Amino acid sequence: MSDRVPTSARLFVGVLLVLLLVGPCGGVEAWPVTRWRLFSANRQATDTRWLVQSVGADGSASTVSLEELPLGYRHAEWPMADLPRKSEARRQQVCEALAPAVADARPGTRKVALVKDEQELVQRGSDWQVIHRVTAVTTCDVPEGSS
Amino acid sequence: MSRVRAWIDDTLWGAETAGRLFIVHVGLAVLIGARVALGSYRQLADTPDALVEPVAMLRWVHSMPPVGVFLAIQVVGTVAAIAAVCRWRVRWTFAVAWFAYLVLAGLRGSRGKVLHNDLLLLWVSAPFLLAPVVARWHGLADLRQQVTRRATGWPVRAATAICALIYFYAGYNKLARSGLSWVTGDNMRYVMLWGPRVGSPVWGDLARWVGENIWVARGSAAFILGLELTFPIILFVRRLKGPYALATMFLHIGTWFLLGLDYWAWALTVPLVLIDWPAVALRVAAFSATRRERREVRGGEPAEQLGEGAAVGG
Repeated sequence: MSDRVPTSARLFVGVLLVLLLVGPCGGVEAWPVTRWRLFSANRQATDTRWLVQSVGADGSASTVSLEELPLGYRHAEWPMADLPRKSEARRQQVCEALAPAVADARPGTRKVALVKDEQELVQRGSDWQVIHRVTAVTTCDVPEGSS
Repeated sequence: MSRVRAWIDDTLWGAETAGRLFIVHVGLAVLIGARVALGSYRQLADTPDALVEPVAMLRWVHSMPPVGVFLAIQVVGTVAAIAAVCRWRVRWTFAVAWFAYLVLAGLRGSRGKVLHNDLLLLWVSAPFLLAPVVARWHGLADLRQQVTRRATGWPVRAATAICALIYFYAGYNKLARSGLSWVTGDNMRYVMLWGPRVGSPVWGDLARWVGENIWVARGSAAFILGLELTFPIILFVRRLKGPYALATMFLHIGTWFLLGLDYWAWALTVPLVLIDWPAVALRVAAFSATRRERREVRGGEPAEQLGEGAAVGG
């Protein structure tokens, strides 16, 4: 085996390093090229979450954890976070996409509500509690035939 | 200038043993195969189209493929990874496994959030797509040779540089986006206090304890930021690779236990690439041989001591 690095290898690694630089230096977020922003934002006592609520026949609403839904739905919070900037049609589209899975997880669901929840973590004695300030983003009916 | 060039040349294309290349290449194939085979991909087939936001690489995908396609990619990727581990047509089988992993990880990330969980392994493995094939398993005896060559060194050196850059970027972004308050403020306190409410950590109570003890939280943040920002030092001071590899393992395994976040691929990839495992194995073998020799020598001692004692007593 000759002891030299092939030109093809040098070019290939060069391209990889340039691609690796493009994300952070050029502000490009185009997976698998990314800016490597891992946990980079400062966490505070306040946080904004996007939640799914099940609304029953009596109008009572309860939050459905996305962890209760199938895997394909568990990152729905990210598309939901964009909804305030999106059209009503897009909001309905996302809501209706979630509705059957919510109805499966919570039998008796009549409507599904997508809400913005501004949370604050406060210490009460030796315990930590979350205070919620909820604003509805959109609601939709559960389709016929869903459990 | 020539010194800088020489340093870059040595950093990216420097010499390593064939044994080290073999171990890293096989190890990466094992990790890729495990991620492809064991990852929860099939369940993504149910994702409604409205929740699919394809990553740049899969921009043409507007809906998740059916279960059968996920299964087919997993089977092909796993078989290819096994073939690469068995050193069968390594160049091709490693490439197929890597590409299957890239597609599966891309589909998993096509749900609106930039996911980094698989990216380190994908990036670090990339130079090995063109790596020379050094040996079959039955040729392992040859790998004990400590002859270093550039021809077998460049994939490991390039992967090490990629690894160092990724950690540096992660640290740099923390500093650029949040400033030093990422360490000195309440950031880590709230990472720890919010974390268990979002994920399902094993040690949620410990996370809360860290969050409630601000200096422990700040110390953890200083450790993480310091580790990431100084990571490229391993390219200058090679003996620091081992400690940095152990520190990253501690960080990622800690993240799993405290926050329930899956960075296992990072925790295993970094020590695989940074530590010279064949050299470690030789050192351990030499140490064991020395101990055995000492034990054998000591095994003969009691009789001599008895003889000496008897002589003294007499």
